[in-house]
Amino acid sequence: MLEIIELTKKFGEVKAVNGISFQVNEGEIFGLLGENGAGKTTTLRMLATMLQPTSGTAILGGYDLIREPEKVRSRIGILFGGESGLYDRLTAAENIAYFGRLNNMDEGKLKERIRELAKVFDMEEYIDRRAGKFSKGMKQKVAFARSIVHNPDIMLFDEPTSGLDVSAIRNVHEFILDCKAQGKTIVLSSHTMSEVEKLCDRIGIIHKGNLVAQGTIAELLEQHSCGSMEEVFVKLVGEKL
Amino acid sequence: MSLKHVWIVFKKEVKDISRDRRTLLTNLLIPIILMPLLFTFLGGSMKKMEKDITENITVALTRESDTEEIRNLLENEVFKNYPNIKLNGSVDNPAEAIQNDKFRFVIDVEKDFSSRLEQGIPYTITIHYDQSDTKSSGSFGILAEAIRSYSQKTVKNRLIEMNIDPQILEPVTIQQVNAAKDNASGNFMIMMMLPMMASILIAVGGIPAATDLVAGEKERGTFEPLLTTQAGRMSVLFGKYLTVTLFSFVSVIAQLIGVVIGGMINPTFFTMVEGGSGELSFSIPTGALLLSILTIITLGMVFSAVQLAISTYARSFKEAQTYLSFLIFAAMIPSYATMMMQPDDLQLYMFIVPLLNAIASLKMILGSVINYTYLGIGLGTSLIYVILSLMFAAWMFNKEKYLFRN
Repeated sequence: MLEIIELTKKFGEVKAVNGISFQVNEGEIFGLLGENGAGKTTTLRMLATMLQPTSGTAILGGYDLIREPEKVRSRIGILFGGESGLYDRLTAAENIAYFGRLNNMDEGKLKERIRELAKVFDMEEYIDRRAGKFSKGMKQKVAFARSIVHNPDIMLFDEPTSGLDVSAIRNVHEFILDCKAQGKTIVLSSHTMSEVEKLCDRIGIIHKGNLVAQGTIAELLEQHSCGSMEEVFVKLVGEKL
Repeated sequence: MSLKHVWIVFKKEVKDISRDRRTLLTNLLIPIILMPLLFTFLGGSMKKMEKDITENITVALTRESDTEEIRNLLENEVFKNYPNIKLNGSVDNPAEAIQNDKFRFVIDVEKDFSSRLEQGIPYTITIHYDQSDTKSSGSFGILAEAIRSYSQKTVKNRLIEMNIDPQILEPVTIQQVNAAKDNASGNFMIMMMLPMMASILIAVGGIPAATDLVAGEKERGTFEPLLTTQAGRMSVLFGKYLTVTLFSFVSVIAQLIGVVIGGMINPTFFTMVEGGSGELSFSIPTGALLLSILTIITLGMVFSAVQLAISTYARSFKEAQTYLSFLIFAAMIPSYATMMMQPDDLQLYMFIVPLLNAIASLKMILGSVINYTYLGIGLGTSLIYVILSLMFAAWMFNKEKYLFRN
């Protein structure tokens, strides 16, 4: 489970994230919907312990973000951005193993886990080949495997489909739904309405650092008397422009 | 910071870079091949030039001076003992003949020289040559020496005719004794080049690794996942720092191997100096050698930390390359400024200033003028700079606004 409490991030005088609070339950996908620069990436970077919050905190898998960032890192997996960044001169297995080792997995378990992931993502044929010559699809699978090698309870996805083609987007969506099926707690940021509608159980609309609304799709439509999420979004964000 | 994580990062980075053919080529193979080639061609062309300067001195007369008498004077008197000076033909325009490389020198002798000689009145020999030409300038000394020696011989004959001992003209004779320690004059070239080369190479050696390890990771999109592993940020930084330091030394060692091979191919390269013994000769006390090597190693550690800090600041690979190229200039300025400096000229402040302290330590031991206090100060200040540079790199690595500038 994940609980965000009054999380705030200031860059100089600019409040990139302004005291947002929400909860995400186990096996649930929470979508952060917002325009570019709304504060989605900053929020996810704080949850991933990359950025230090100015105030507020979050509890991830029972650990406090401020007091126990290392323990928080043991419980999270991330997939940031659409392009899958890998070490081209390392094999797929070496790419995955590096992250497993840095997450304190022992060698025996790690080997077994890589074998298992290679099977799950159908990578057995190329698991020992260098990543530099992989197709985009192959790289994407390695990046998926890398993000869950240490079996995290919480997954953070920051615009995971940006810049991807249709089939690659489909792969990402399937991966997110697989994670949900495994009971992982998921936060997904996106500015694509259809993606959020398709995948998320609950949605938070973020605008200029403020969480202006949150709830299930049905709840949001009812609260704002709209026929579609697009209308809700335009109504909320348009009003604040 | 966890040593286990530092080691994991270090091992991965070394494996990754070792598989990069481009880095291996530029850091390892090229220096090993390039240095011997440089020594061979540079040494060969220097030898050829030296031979040409001393053995191929072509001289012509001006048209006005081209008489039997003057030709006889020069061939049978002035250049008699100088078979390397070849008098051939005459020219109308001395400047044109020299510029067209027909002759290295054109000589003009006063026509009434014989009557002046008989009367004991000085006459003038004018030498036309190209002062901007290395060969002309180099050969001028030999030609002037031939004329001077003829002049002295004439004076001597005159004194003998007057029953005066020619020794009267030489009340004092000069005897030269080389007091340089252990043939240090033979080490001149290596004393000049090695400190300069070592400091520049150390400044450059870690750049490819430093660029790739932070700016490269940012660009590839592997940096964010790395920062969310359980390895703390300092473990990641130190793993990368050790890698950059290692590759900076690998690069220097490759260059030095190249120098050694070059020295074996052309052994006289480092001793090409007038008055040198022609042999390299060192007697460096072990303690001094150790202090000096440690100072060089710490200089490499300082550069690695600074390179990583710059790479952290850069938004992209290209930006990092641009910033890091300035570091080469920073290393070149003190290196070239002190290139001609001799061990006796070294002053205390040089052992305190970063980079200069490593150059000064190397010059000191190569010149065999050992001062342990100065060497100790050099190493001590270098260690302080290592700590300061690491603190700077760590500060940069922890600063969100630099780490996530992109």
